[in-house]
Amino acid sequence: MNTRFNLSAGPHVRDRWTTAHIMRLVLLAMLPATVVGCVVFGVHALLIVLSSVTSAVLTELLFDKLTGRPDTWKDGSAAVTGLMLALTLSGTVPLYIPILGSIFAILVVKCAFGGLGKNFINPALAARCFLLISFGNAMTEYGVDGVSSATPVAELAAGKVVNITSMFLGTANGVIGGSILALLVGGLFLWCLDVIHGQICFSVLGGFTLFMALFGGKGFDPGFLAAHLCGGGVVLGAFFMATDYVTSPMSRLGQTAYGLLIGVLGALFRIKGHAADSFSYSIIVANLFVPLIDTYIVDKPFAYRKGAMALQRGEIKKPLMQRIPKPVIALTVIALLAGLALSGTYSLTKDTIDEQKQAASAAAYRAVIPDAETFEYNNLAVDALKGEVYGTDFGRVYINEAVVGKNAAGEIVGYAVSVTSAEGYDGNVTLTLGVNTAGKINCISYTELHETPGKGMLCGEPPFMDQFAGKQATVLTVGGGDNSVDAITGATVTSEASINAVNAGLDFINTQLKEG
Amino acid sequence: MRMTFRGGVHPKEQKALSREIPLRTYDPAGELVFPLAQHIGKPAKAIVKKNDPVLVGQKIAEADGFVSANVICSCSGKVKAVEKRRTVSGAMTDCIVVENDGQFTPIEGMGERQDISRLTAQDILARVKEAGIIGLGGAGFPTHVKLAPKAPEKIRWLIANGAECEPYLTCNDQLMRSKADGIVEGLEIALRLYPNAECVICIEDNKPEAVAAMQKACQGKARFSVRALHTKYPQGGERSLIRVIAGVDYPVTMLPADVGCIVVNVGTAYAIGRAVAYNEPLFSHVITVTGEAVKAPANFIARDGTSFAELLEAAGGVKDGVTAAKALTGGPMMGVALSTLDIPIQKTSNALTLLADDPVAKAQAQMTPCLHCGRCSTVCPNGLVPALMADAIDLKNFERYEKKLYGLECIACGCCTFICPAKRPLTQMFKQTKAEIMAQKRAQKAGGKA
Repeated sequence: MNTRFNLSAGPHVRDRWTTAHIMRLVLLAMLPATVVGCVVFGVHALLIVLSSVTSAVLTELLFDKLTGRPDTWKDGSAAVTGLMLALTLSGTVPLYIPILGSIFAILVVKCAFGGLGKNFINPALAARCFLLISFGNAMTEYGVDGVSSATPVAELAAGKVVNITSMFLGTANGVIGGSILALLVGGLFLWCLDVIHGQICFSVLGGFTLFMALFGGKGFDPGFLAAHLCGGGVVLGAFFMATDYVTSPMSRLGQTAYGLLIGVLGALFRIKGHAADSFSYSIIVANLFVPLIDTYIVDKPFAYRKGAMALQRGEIKKPLMQRIPKPVIALTVIALLAGLALSGTYSLTKDTIDEQKQAASAAAYRAVIPDAETFEYNNLAVDALKGEVYGTDFGRVYINEAVVGKNAAGEIVGYAVSVTSAEGYDGNVTLTLGVNTAGKINCISYTELHETPGKGMLCGEPPFMDQFAGKQATVLTVGGGDNSVDAITGATVTSEASINAVNAGLDFINTQLKEG
Repeated sequence: MRMTFRGGVHPKEQKALSREIPLRTYDPAGELVFPLAQHIGKPAKAIVKKNDPVLVGQKIAEADGFVSANVICSCSGKVKAVEKRRTVSGAMTDCIVVENDGQFTPIEGMGERQDISRLTAQDILARVKEAGIIGLGGAGFPTHVKLAPKAPEKIRWLIANGAECEPYLTCNDQLMRSKADGIVEGLEIALRLYPNAECVICIEDNKPEAVAAMQKACQGKARFSVRALHTKYPQGGERSLIRVIAGVDYPVTMLPADVGCIVVNVGTAYAIGRAVAYNEPLFSHVITVTGEAVKAPANFIARDGTSFAELLEAAGGVKDGVTAAKALTGGPMMGVALSTLDIPIQKTSNALTLLADDPVAKAQAQMTPCLHCGRCSTVCPNGLVPALMADAIDLKNFERYEKKLYGLECIACGCCTFICPAKRPLTQMFKQTKAEIMAQKRAQKAGGKA
């Protein structure tokens, strides 16, 4: 035989997984969250995702071509960075934001440091932080949600109430990749396939929860902890960002330490610092610790670990967790959390919700009767209604509270009522209405509004709300005339519920408060 | 709960190619070549010279020193030359070349049943040494040395390794199926050396026929048991087996005997039985000729010194319409690539695997920088962190490699290289670095003495 054969060192077979294969799996895992985000936030979110991914890939392609490097864009890591960045953005940001962010991530954070495997912080998160610092306003505008335009996490930090169910499903105000359910599906999918390391994501979640429980001020209140876990990218961070290979440690021990660091820092920043972006920062800070961790915290080989020589003969028992197949654990976790978020949690926080409603109203009264110093609650008139539907012309409308505002001298300067219409597109619309002594509307303010983003939610924006100010009438109509307001296109239900509530409030003030 | 170790990988088994092919004896024609260095340790010294007549089973080279092994002639004929020939390592090494007369005349008394009831431990070890037996699992450590630990009474387990975790290989499978009694006979002899030990025969659970055959052969023997182990590479590694049977992880600075274990391959056990009970030294063993590029994969009982090329022809040669890209002696995980087949099979050659395409060449095209994905660390059976070890090598930080990362614990099983999605040649780097560090240490030691 004269044939010469290929020579190489062993092993001579290789696993079929390649870098590109792993990147495709990560992309696949991010797909559910992307789809939910695009459904919730509409076409604009899809445009954000597409422009972010495209510009990331194009940037790397151009860099490869211009510097004569191998075509690394094909491995899919740029697409992962682009998609990851898009998931951390609000569904309403202008398109230059994802484009600039992706270019920054790929060109500055990744390629300039040597490309794949060489960046020392997560490119997507670095880009997000770059965008936050550079375009603060555009980045922190999270749609609209009535009273305060903030994300659920900002509200939590402000001590307000959030709707955990909508946070879990991803319909709450926030980022495109905000659906906890979809993220869990994707994240646990990666964990089941051993793409990501459980010791990272679970120590992130564990560290965060523990620190929040100890120092968050509410103890082990499950509703409070669940709300914090569901908000502000904790799950996105734990499963998709903290686990980024390049910027996480390599030994199990190091990975656990790194995960705990992220969880603790994230909770600390959330309690004491910038609540909404605490997780981006905590991961970036922990990224900077990775070289140190990899230098000093490394697992010893089995033979040098405690008990290596002392194990008794016989079958080696794995810890219980490892004996249960991963997919079983994953499905159980998802089912449990879904059930909890959809049913239990709301009741856990219901007391707080009622409490918070009142506090929100007090602030709202001050806003709608600016001249008043003190507020006198007129409970008699409200109690007389016995919590039944008010009037006959306003649909299912309820009067919650009524106050008379007085100035420092004790003179009446205005009246305010809190009215709820149960006929919003997505449940209740509650607003506070303020009228001066002459019967002119000062302004309205929403205390409860969770309608469709970009549609019903627009009722809480100045263009709609401002229409009410200065109107002097007993009944407002829709469209045309002095005493009319324009409904929001595509959100007539919400608009009408609002107007009905205002009319009911006016009627109540005129017939009950002034007389009384 | 299936018994296994931590880490490990699942390469495609590919054993179906040859696992049902029964053993077939192949007698070669033409010259046979016997390398003097087939084992770990010092090469043997030739004790024949040109034109000397030789017989089957005759010792033609003698162990030189304690860790060394005799070389046995596998044919009858005349010594043609003692010269340098290309061997498995790829280098030209000293070999005895014998012109085969095709008669295969044995030495006197070979194959006759011996009375072994009165043999002392010393006698057994002497016979094993005389027969030139070395570890047939692949490493080739002289068996008479391995079987003689300092404190034989402290040995608790004699582990017979029939795991055969290497993909493609079926030589042990077939041996266990057809020579189960012979293997047990060898193990019984070895067990006489260790008064307090019991023998555990370990077989991966993808070989149910072999498990059944061995169970049958062990029936009624008090000190014997058969264990079916989870099929996972490197289950047949010495440390993996000890981990499973003794529940112990021990560092490379220790020997299996230090933790009360002696591990012998089932092929070696069979050879011990033949040598001690039948006066038949080691000159032939089972070798699998397999791979996608082989026309009729087979399990041969082949004589040492036969060329791989001849054995391949006996298996029908290369499959029509297929070009063999790579030839390996052994399996694809720990086997060694051969540049040509015109080299002799030796005691440690357990397979000739002919791959139709070369995954390594393909992997080289897919190579990317390290992602730090940590998959290598997940599969390392010793709990090392290969990616960090590779980083330390890149930075030439050998102290970190050795002290902090315990790089010398690497057994070069190849799991990390197999699993690496970036397709980096990790094992190769570690082998080379280990060799360099060991050489440095030897130099330091020598310097210290002078």
